[in-house]
Amino acid sequence: MSLWRYEARRAGWPACLAAPASLLAALALAAASAGFGASPPSVHGVLLSGVEALVPLAAAMAAVTVVSVDRCRELQLALPAGYSVTLGRRLGVVAGIGAALSVLFSAALRLTGSWTGPESALASALVWASPLLGLTGLALLVAVLGRSVVLATTTVAVVWLCQQLFASALAAGVWSRPFFLFMTSRVGVADGWGTNRAVLAACGVLFITTALLLLRRPERLLTEEEV
Amino acid sequence: MRSRFAAVCRYEFRMQVRKRSLWVSTVGLAVLIAVAQGDRGPRHLPAGTSAAEVMGSWALLFSMLLPIGFGMVLADRLVRDHRIGAASLLASLPTRPGALVAGKYAGSVAATAVPGLLVLLVTAAGEFAHRGDLTLFGWAVAAFAVVLLPGLAFVAAFALVCPLVVSAPLFRVLFAGYWFWGNMLGPAYLPSLTGTLLTPIGDYPASWLMGEKALYAGDSGWLSFLRPEPGGGAALLSVVLLAVLASLPLAFAGPLIARRTSS
Repeated sequence: MSLWRYEARRAGWPACLAAPASLLAALALAAASAGFGASPPSVHGVLLSGVEALVPLAAAMAAVTVVSVDRCRELQLALPAGYSVTLGRRLGVVAGIGAALSVLFSAALRLTGSWTGPESALASALVWASPLLGLTGLALLVAVLGRSVVLATTTVAVVWLCQQLFASALAAGVWSRPFFLFMTSRVGVADGWGTNRAVLAACGVLFITTALLLLRRPERLLTEEEV
Repeated sequence: MRSRFAAVCRYEFRMQVRKRSLWVSTVGLAVLIAVAQGDRGPRHLPAGTSAAEVMGSWALLFSMLLPIGFGMVLADRLVRDHRIGAASLLASLPTRPGALVAGKYAGSVAATAVPGLLVLLVTAAGEFAHRGDLTLFGWAVAAFAVVLLPGLAFVAAFALVCPLVVSAPLFRVLFAGYWFWGNMLGPAYLPSLTGTLLTPIGDYPASWLMGEKALYAGDSGWLSFLRPEPGGGAALLSVVLLAVLASLPLAFAGPLIARRTSS
């Protein structure tokens, strides 16, 4: 347990706080919407976006931080422990915080009758797990490939923003629909929802596997500060 | 005092403008925007459309995404000084914290403005190839000055100062969320700043250039007193308000830096 506590400290408090902060932002926005007379379905949609859109964004940005901001990387590389394993533990902490909070938030939404996602527990988990895996995997891959915080965070932010902006077009397109991150909150549990979740999760696994393969040469990461 | 400000501004500009990630992210985003704009984008405006409307449309399109890259680039500028130990060295200089922050801000804005302006000029050259109107270049500069630059100055102020309080990673998450909520989320859907004079995306100035509502400028919604009818006066007011708002975080930057350096 002490090892995980240590890795959480090494990941840094901003990375650990990103998911809670994003859910707080969703709650604040939902409260403001309700206060200004938005309909209950709109308010519920905002709350669902908290777990489907904001937590994955927070986890992805935190993953970039974990990969890019390690002041002791040279020391880590000199140790017999594999650096990808160390990095994996830190990413696990960040993703774990996001996952735990999403489960709790989803459960709270169910208890208060505000849940508009799928009924089954497994499908409910896919509401946040698939975009989290997809976006975090993309962030990890770009961070490892580009060795630049700016490139990785810009990529994540632009992908997220473009998916929000062109939600209707992406959801309507036959080829783009499986890659649409916000299917549940923007379209609902409609035809192709299961395929969409499976494709997003598969993309995430593919990205993470590729990043891990690249990390077999961890010295690649040494020069990101100057990029 | 003025020469110290100019010196800080100069070195900050030189450091930023040589940053490879600034150019890579700007070019990448500009190409993405140019390719993926769809049928309603400025590339498909009919022949005979005024140069002001063409370049105003392009400037608005670029200002939707380019500031995201600029915000990410600038988010660690002041924090990084502390991380690499340069803050103590800078504090030992005779330059006051206020001048230091102002110089860094001006240098950062100028450095990020260079790729933004170049992108618009290259676009004007592309449009000139099939429209043959030389005034496109003049309107490109004008559109940059009223649409892209005020938003960039606004984003730069918050991107420099906010990470001193909430850290750079957390700022980047909140910034991406804010950019969508405060600029492009329709005000009819949720209470948001979209369509007000305070939208750094340049909705009001772009509406003035295009001669019609660009996105949501003036749409009814939350904070109705900030939603006048689009026009020249409203565009000017929007630019002034953004400049005033940008100065607020900068006013707190000096004390924040001093506190971090002493701790």
